[in-house]
Amino acid sequence: MARSIPVKANVFILPPQVNGRTDINRLLRELEALEETLITKAAKDNLPSKITSLLNQTALANGYKLLEKTHRQHIAQQLTKIRDHAPTVHISFAAEPSPKVTETLLSWLRSNVHRYALVQIGLQPAIAAGCVLRTPNKIFDMSLGATLQKQTPYLLELLKTAALDAPGPGTIAPAGLPTGQVGKP
Amino acid sequence: MDLGGILLISGGALAAIAAILYIDWRVQHKKPAETEPTIPKAAEPSRPAQGISQIAREDVEHIFNDEFREELRNRGRLHFEKIIGENAMFLQQDLRQTTTQLNEYMRTEITRTLQIEFKKYEQSITDAKQLALDSIEKTVTTIEQQRQLLESQMQNQAETQRNQIIDRFEAQMARIVNHYVMQAIGNQIDLSDQLEFILGELESNKAAIIEDIKHGS
Repeated sequence: MARSIPVKANVFILPPQVNGRTDINRLLRELEALEETLITKAAKDNLPSKITSLLNQTALANGYKLLEKTHRQHIAQQLTKIRDHAPTVHISFAAEPSPKVTETLLSWLRSNVHRYALVQIGLQPAIAAGCVLRTPNKIFDMSLGATLQKQTPYLLELLKTAALDAPGPGTIAPAGLPTGQVGKP
Repeated sequence: MDLGGILLISGGALAAIAAILYIDWRVQHKKPAETEPTIPKAAEPSRPAQGISQIAREDVEHIFNDEFREELRNRGRLHFEKIIGENAMFLQQDLRQTTTQLNEYMRTEITRTLQIEFKKYEQSITDAKQLALDSIEKTVTTIEQQRQLLESQMQNQAETQRNQIIDRFEAQMARIVNHYVMQAIGNQIDLSDQLEFILGELESNKAAIIEDIKHGS
């Protein structure tokens, strides 16, 4: 008779290391493999050594024990539900972001936007700095290029001011200096 | 006096001269035998009469001898020459007068004709000049209109082109500066250093992101 361990967490917690559907699918495949391993294995008290840290963190964050079948099934159900229904946003960076950056952004998204928000990381070297976030219907360009583009009127104003302040071709040089040396130190 | 009258006078004078010359020619070429007085034979009724007649003939021949006849002929010739001279003088005067009148008439007619022709020619020249002036004026007006139209078009085109160049310059200049800034600092900023900027941007777009996710999912 199998022991039933109560679930500690009422709400399933998705660790920030799980970024997107790819990670969830990987976790689901790993859970299936673990299930098969545990079925065929004679000794069911020890976990196989090839379990990834991602699965371990997921289980630990939610208080599950991977040796328990019901816990594994619960994790799989939750992950499947998240995979099928959680919103996914696409974020593009100029370079490959570090895990720290990804986790920070995911933490912000999951604490401010949606509990199970998933991200899909893309690369756009043209944006140089910042990121471009794409939701199902909108694109939020938070790149440096967009910021500079927004500042174009200010740049043009600066250019016009500089052009108006520039000395004309008929400018008279100060006494003792030729025209070409006006303004030079 | 018209031309017909002048020709009639000239023709009459020439006919008179021709008649006088013909009479003179006839007088000079008459035969001497014919000039001698003829004695009709019927006047010799008898011998004494014949003697008288012979004597009379001789007397006549004695009176109208060759010298006398020559004298008469000379007188007649002189008289005729005088008449001819007078007529010639009159004829010359008439001819001179006729010639003068003819010249005057011809001069008047030629002058009048020339004046008419000159007036026509002058009128034609004036008309042609007026036509040329009108044509030139129309051409000048058309050219002026075309020039104004062209000037207006060129000004509009220049203004449009200038505005396009300025707009393009502004847009390109902004793009160039942006591209330069991104190329200059794009690879120098670490993503960890951008986190604060990115989170700030996310915070500013938070409501829109939540709204779109709620309605999109």
